[in-house]
Amino acid sequence: MKRKEFLLGVSAMLPLLLGVVPFGLVFGVLGISSGLSETQTILMSSIIFAGASQVVFAQLWAAGSAYIVIGSSVALINLRHVLYSASVAQHLEKMNFKWRIILAYLLTDEAFAVSIRRFTSHGTSRPVHFFMLGAGLTLWLTWQISTIIGVIAGSTIPENWELAFAIPLTFIAIVVPLLRSSPTIVSALTSGLIAIFGQSLPWNIWIIIAALGGILMGAFVEKWNHNK
Amino acid sequence: MIWFVMILTGLINFIFRISMFSGIRNIHLPLSLNRYVVYVPTSVLSAIIASSLISFNGQEVLYEAEKLLAASIAVIFAYLTKSVSATLVAGLITMWIM
Repeated sequence: MKRKEFLLGVSAMLPLLLGVVPFGLVFGVLGISSGLSETQTILMSSIIFAGASQVVFAQLWAAGSAYIVIGSSVALINLRHVLYSASVAQHLEKMNFKWRIILAYLLTDEAFAVSIRRFTSHGTSRPVHFFMLGAGLTLWLTWQISTIIGVIAGSTIPENWELAFAIPLTFIAIVVPLLRSSPTIVSALTSGLIAIFGQSLPWNIWIIIAALGGILMGAFVEKWNHNK
Repeated sequence: MIWFVMILTGLINFIFRISMFSGIRNIHLPLSLNRYVVYVPTSVLSAIIASSLISFNGQEVLYEAEKLLAASIAVIFAYLTKSVSATLVAGLITMWIM
């Protein structure tokens, strides 16, 4: 039963790897071109283990941003994990601390997406924590391997291939499907505009201002729609 | 110094991940915060997308037409396919052809 759940988790993750592998490769390449060492780039994938925020870390580091800006940008991007954490909490009530640590470490967008579906459908009848373990470990391993390949390839890929451009493209692929309501669209446009015109500000603080501006506008439009 | 920043941010991220089910204390997310958190990914990522396409030096707005076109093609592919790989390939190929 446990083994079966684990393998079900692994196979639920497989289709999602199609998006994870290119992202990991891009991060590996970008890490090196941002001036991080090979060890730093590779270890960041297990220390932070959150794709978008690692890319932002590398970009802000390359631009010589203030540490506090790097730290708060990464934290802001990862704040969504608190939501995921709250969402899986009720299904993991019986777990011991060791399990909680392992599953928390493996809690990513992808692992959350496939696990929460399993939790809600089979949470009471099956050992679904093994499902999450299978899904989470599959993603973890893929992320590490694709980072390493990216790091190795990074030094050999010619610069005129413009691979750094793969970053905004990857983010477009993540953001566009999320833009399904007027508050999210307004939120994205607001933060985009602030980002463009805030770029000349010191310490790369624009990323924080733009993010907060977008978040506030999103919440504002949502409330406004609601009150209408 | 980079190691310090990296480990600290990694630790913060882990705390976020375990925050609601650590078992140490029974915490619940205030609903008011919930309303804001949904806009975090779109907001942060849009800022990065915009800044890598268009820049502003205090006087003029600068951009490369081929990047804007490639990004627009990518938006269409992302909307239609919802696939990271398809979007990436479409955008990069547009970029290389131009």
